[in-house]
Amino acid sequence: METLDASAAHGPEVDMARRIAASGAAGAQDAEAGLYRLLAPRARRYGLRHLRDPHAAADLMQHVMALTIEQLRSGRLREPERVLSFVLGACRLTVMEQLRGERRRDALLQRYGDDLPLADLHVAPRLDHQRVADCLERLPERERSVLVMTFYDDQPSDAVGGQLGLSAGNVRVIRHRGLDRLRRCVDPQRRAS
Amino acid sequence: MSAVSSAHLAIDALLEYWLRETDASTTDAVDEHLMRCEACGRVLDGLVALGDGVRAVFRAGAVAAVTSQAFIRRLSDAGLRVREHRLAHNGSVDCTVAPDDDVLVARIEAPLAGVERLDAVAQLSNEPGVEHRLEDVPFDAGTGELVYIPALAGVRDLPAHDMQLTLLAVQGGETREVGRYLFHHRPWPGH
Repeated sequence: METLDASAAHGPEVDMARRIAASGAAGAQDAEAGLYRLLAPRARRYGLRHLRDPHAAADLMQHVMALTIEQLRSGRLREPERVLSFVLGACRLTVMEQLRGERRRDALLQRYGDDLPLADLHVAPRLDHQRVADCLERLPERERSVLVMTFYDDQPSDAVGGQLGLSAGNVRVIRHRGLDRLRRCVDPQRRAS
Repeated sequence: MSAVSSAHLAIDALLEYWLRETDASTTDAVDEHLMRCEACGRVLDGLVALGDGVRAVFRAGAVAAVTSQAFIRRLSDAGLRVREHRLAHNGSVDCTVAPDDDVLVARIEAPLAGVERLDAVAQLSNEPGVEHRLEDVPFDAGTGELVYIPALAGVRDLPAHDMQLTLLAVQGGETREVGRYLFHHRPWPGH
């Protein structure tokens, strides 16, 4: 598999990281804002997946981006082309620290949080819930049951299957079909295509 | 998922990752992929938003679903107010929904051993001549019951009526009645 650094060596993240590093303590506000726009949503996704809490994920995102920009400004991140590896590593360490109950991130946020650009972040789409309900009602019974039981509290296929007398593989097949139908119904663009 | 290539990830792979079905090395590989691939990240965002939507409409009582005893326990454990109506085989029940109920559940006992496909047909006294058919509902034959959650928001608005529910085993193009049940619904006093 291609490594994170090799795949992104010439990406926009690296260009911005290099500009931030080159500007030193003076800062390069547009590059910092650009880097934040690109990488903050990715750090938030990591937090959502591993912490399962939107507020904790937002905290992680702020902490990791503050740390990344601070490390670039100060020159401690000596290879700006490795910025993606640095962000992922910081995400992993922060989650581990958070799970251990450590509070170092709070101190960093207090130091650098006010400097972080917050505008123009991509956020997950918010769906029309009436449409989601209508589309769910149109699904075959098995697909609706599997999707409700899966998504209500993010249950894996073996847990859902064990409750409905189905194998995990069967649940995955039903889930795949139901999800495909639901996405096409909820998203008009997907339906049109 | 055995490997994560540099191409875009399949939606099933993203869902397995989100639902923690992936092993540790695959999870690490997907983490790396998502760190460099904004397109896959946005697909994952869409999946998470869809999951949030399903959760929200279910909690709002806007969709019905056949579920399980374990699922009902999780709802109760999460603090939802669950009103259960239990029906013995071929039984009947007086039922209603209170203003502060979050979830309404019908637990319907039935001899399901050997049943391959189960359909449910509902007839309401206030809709003469109309049949509502649920085809191929999921069930665990070992539990000997069907756990059905109606769309509570719709039930709240119903006037007093009786509903007859017939469970049918379907096999080889033939149907066999498995059980017949009667729900006497009355609105909550004052509603």
